[in-house]
Amino acid sequence: MSYAYLFKYIIIGDTGVGKSCLLLQFTDKRFQPVHDLTIGVEFGARMITIDGKQIKLQIWDTAGQEAFRSITRSYYRGAAGALLVYDITRRETFNHLTTWLEDARQHSNSNMVIMLIGNKSDLDSRREVKKEEGEAFAREHGLVFMETSARTAANVEEAFINTAKEIYEKIQEGVFDINNEANGIKIGQQHSPTNPSLPGSGGAAGAANSGCC
Amino acid sequence: MFSNFKERFMTALAPDLPPLPSNDRSDHHHRRFGGQQMPDKFPYARPPFLQLLTADELRASADHNVRPIIVPRDINLLPWGTGYAECVNSGKSEWNEDQSAFCRQVLSDPEHKHPDLPYTYFGIFDGHAGYGAALAASHQFHHILHETLVDCIELLLPRDTDTGENGRLNPTFPHPIYFQRRVSKDELIIGALESAFFSMDSLIAQDSNRYRDAGGCTACVSLFIDGKMYVANAGDSRAVLCQRRANQPTEPKDSSVIEPDPLEASCYPVPFSADHTPETERERLLNVARLKPHLMANHYVAMEYAKRPHIKDMGQRILCRQGTMKGWTYKTLTRDDLRMPVVNGEGKRSRLLGTLGVSRGFGDHELLAINTGIQIKPFLTPHPDVRQRDLTQVVSIPDEHNQDGDYGVLVMATDGLWDVSENEAVSRTVFQTLSKYPTEKHRYTMVAQELVARARGKINDSGHWRLADSKAAATVDDISVIVIPVYQYYKEHIEWTQNYTRDLEKRRRRAQANMAQEAQEGNLLNGVIAEEAHVEEEEEDGEVVVLEAKAQIQSEPLQLPHAEAEEVLVVEITTSPEQSESRESAASTGTATATADEEASVTAPASQRDSATVAQQQQQRSRKGNKGKH
Repeated sequence: MSYAYLFKYIIIGDTGVGKSCLLLQFTDKRFQPVHDLTIGVEFGARMITIDGKQIKLQIWDTAGQEAFRSITRSYYRGAAGALLVYDITRRETFNHLTTWLEDARQHSNSNMVIMLIGNKSDLDSRREVKKEEGEAFAREHGLVFMETSARTAANVEEAFINTAKEIYEKIQEGVFDINNEANGIKIGQQHSPTNPSLPGSGGAAGAANSGCC
Repeated sequence: MFSNFKERFMTALAPDLPPLPSNDRSDHHHRRFGGQQMPDKFPYARPPFLQLLTADELRASADHNVRPIIVPRDINLLPWGTGYAECVNSGKSEWNEDQSAFCRQVLSDPEHKHPDLPYTYFGIFDGHAGYGAALAASHQFHHILHETLVDCIELLLPRDTDTGENGRLNPTFPHPIYFQRRVSKDELIIGALESAFFSMDSLIAQDSNRYRDAGGCTACVSLFIDGKMYVANAGDSRAVLCQRRANQPTEPKDSSVIEPDPLEASCYPVPFSADHTPETERERLLNVARLKPHLMANHYVAMEYAKRPHIKDMGQRILCRQGTMKGWTYKTLTRDDLRMPVVNGEGKRSRLLGTLGVSRGFGDHELLAINTGIQIKPFLTPHPDVRQRDLTQVVSIPDEHNQDGDYGVLVMATDGLWDVSENEAVSRTVFQTLSKYPTEKHRYTMVAQELVARARGKINDSGHWRLADSKAAATVDDISVIVIPVYQYYKEHIEWTQNYTRDLEKRRRRAQANMAQEAQEGNLLNGVIAEEAHVEEEEEDGEVVVLEAKAQIQSEPLQLPHAEAEEVLVVEITTSPEQSESRESAASTGTATATADEEASVTAPASQRDSATVAQQQQQRSRKGNKGKH
């Protein structure tokens, strides 16, 4: 399917905060309570509509473990948006936000839109980080903030879409150089009816988009 | 007889074979675009065990700006915790042209006369001038290998005598009359690998007029079978067994002396393949050129010069060497010497006919030399070097907990890794990473990831990839790495051997019980007559060589209750040309080497055929299962 723009996202944050679950909820609309440790990088994609324009989100879900940090860092490059996730039931994941933010700012392009996400809002009884604290952190560092639940899907759509809206606005304002793919934004090939980018007339893409055989 | 046997076996498998060239395959799925472009034989994909299933994932994995390191989503898909990681090039080709594959298979006797022999294969293929050849090899090589192994299945399958009291684990196959040479199991497996390499190459050749130009690829393949590890390689991918000496008991240290890091000092790489590049194969290539000068069509010269000859040097003397000479000699420069040498350049930049950087592998049937349009294929060969390691001979002291070091960790990788990493550095990285993750299930995946990350390096502000620990250029090539914990295979093999011995014992006891029962019923005499009749029947079929009639005592530790040894006739049957035509004889192959239990219960030929059919069906099913998985 053709798109007007492709935005590249990266999801970052400590291990176990629910990054992979957020991705799964957004792309597949399902929740997987037991999720294997992400070792490398996982990819997800979904089409959304903003301002009547088809926008494809390509999402890179990274490993949260400290040991993977050096490899994860290389994925900031070429991302237009980042979801920085912490777990509202584990204070230390909130405390590590500064490190994550430094990392992100250092290795990404300066225009990258960062959305702060307090995940697991369904576990309110075990909450260790107040919503106000998240809001304050976001305000202080110029981030957008939202509490989500990958389990109940609360705010998951909004988190991804609001980030996209922000990127879209920046494009309209001319902040992003959309001709440089290293900024994580790609202009779609509007004229082609199917995804022409895969070789061999792409089995998967063709089949998924035609809707029927 | 054996070829007949093979034919039957192959027929049973045929429905599941990969799309081998046949006339009815080229119709669906792919259209010809304007009659110009031919279809791909296989649609582009990454190795199935990575589970990059959607076009979006495929696209994201080939991001040349970021070069993400891809590891299997589910690390349990690969056996023994084997690690894998890959990364796309920095833009030299649109897609990652490396491919990898693995396959777990079982060689089983259709008549269940011998225990099954499981094996595991890994392959790594570095494509060039297109992704087709590497993709085809990753889809089809293991099927071809399986067929070639099945060809000699009756010689490969473990026999009772293998674990006999003399413990001959590596017997040779005597063919006293029809063969002058004794052939070992080793040679059969090496031969199977070699012939599979040739078959794979011809398969790509056969496909070349029906599918899009596949390009070419290198092939590095490891096969774990019967307690041994075989590595076959053609091209410039490489397999290195990373080993480590066990820690020496620490002596009181002199604090003034800076001790080398014990881990670094104890690691050492053992190469299990040799790179085939125009430079390393100069001798063979120049020989080809010398013997078939028409292949050069007056465009090239089979000489090497100490300095590049120029037209102004004409008539002067120049140091050169011809063909396969090791040393140098003078000659007077003539016009002929101004042609391009068949092999030029040095090291990684050496080129064959000024075009190709590898000298062995699959494909390249349509590849033409730059500028001259000369066919390159006649200079290439798919013939692999095969090296072997007998894991039963490895000495490893359990208390030292150094199994990975003793048995080694086999790193198979494309030249993306080896271009920028020394074997020594790779083996250090292997054991450093393993010590960081002592118990994790994904520790070998971490090794693979670390190796790829180091070779890929980081991108700097001006968009160049640099190694992390120096300012040197990192590789811009595709990188694929397989990290195989050899000891984990060996553990599996030991378990299998024990099960197989137990199974053997069970069968023997059952046979004895039958014998005893028959004796009680007073049918002993009949039994003996039946046995004799059986042997005679074989004599009609083929030539029976009675090797020995001996009291057979099998695997002492398991054999407790029945001390009485039985008289067993061990019979070896040999082929003769006229008998190999006979379909009937295939059914009796197994009975020829019959042991106590089979001899005791004489089966009617009809029921034997039935059981063979069942076995073939089972084999077919297991193949189906395997195909789905892979």
